[in-house]
Amino acid sequence: MTEMTTESTVYVIYIAAAPEKVWTTLTSSEFTTQYFFGRSVESDWKKGSPWILRKPDGNVDVSGKVRESDPPRKLVVTWNIDWVETKLPECIVTYDIEQTGENLVRLTMTEAHPTPIPANLLEGGRKGWPMILSGLKSLLETGKPLNIPTPEPPKEI
Amino acid sequence: MAASTFVYSIYIRTTPEKLWDALTKPEFTRTYWCECWPDSTWEKGASWKLMIPDGRVGDSGEIVEIDKPRKLVVTWRNEFRPELHTEGYSRCTYELEAQGDMTKLIVKHEIDVEKSKLIEAVSGGWPAILSSLKSLLETGDALEATKHWPKDK
Repeated sequence: MTEMTTESTVYVIYIAAAPEKVWTTLTSSEFTTQYFFGRSVESDWKKGSPWILRKPDGNVDVSGKVRESDPPRKLVVTWNIDWVETKLPECIVTYDIEQTGENLVRLTMTEAHPTPIPANLLEGGRKGWPMILSGLKSLLETGKPLNIPTPEPPKEI
Repeated sequence: MAASTFVYSIYIRTTPEKLWDALTKPEFTRTYWCECWPDSTWEKGASWKLMIPDGRVGDSGEIVEIDKPRKLVVTWRNEFRPELHTEGYSRCTYELEAQGDMTKLIVKHEIDVEKSKLIEAVSGGWPAILSSLKSLLETGDALEATKHWPKDK
């Protein structure tokens, strides 16, 4: 019996950048391809609009809808993984971009699972988000991305 | 798994040796850890204290395990906030893994106390301190928010 969970994954990182720059880095392919495992993003980022995370080979990795959009403070998207045979429950990813000082942002990423998922699938996000967001911070603060290899997808889905 | 646990990973463009020094040497910690500095001889069994800039002991414990520059485990009890002090000793593990031109730092802070106030407090502190450490090592400058001990504490 697979253990199911509704636990969220939360990751907080502080970045010496303006909120507008953090928003742009999260929502433009020019930047996401540099820190998000080569993925590009497609959306107009308006509430209700669709959005896509596309792999370097052109295939769709993740798709969903924009639930909330309040640039540059908050973005909430539904997250559906497209490349697995078994349909996984949708999760909700929220980016909270709070200005906490002059040229300082606290970025909080919350990956929520209102519909239960197999507990072992939390591992993917727990391993991936620190890589992605550490890379985003390096790109914004140093102009250079981190050299992070794309992790293997979880074996059992 | 302890009753209350906080785990945080961050990837830093640096070597494990440089990261180890930044975590353990006062001349570095003072620049990103709110002017605090660790006081220890860094041997297994030796005492360990995290000193506050005004001379008070912030936290104390001992070195449980030390394998420079890969792993450091300390016991950790808060000394200056009574509601945290009564929870007793937590355990803090630092693991440093070289990955290409980066080092992955994993900090695991845990205590066998349900709904621990200490773990709740450090859960807010660690992302700020470690983000600042990453900025220091990658840009030469820590984050402004963690350069100084807060005036109201």
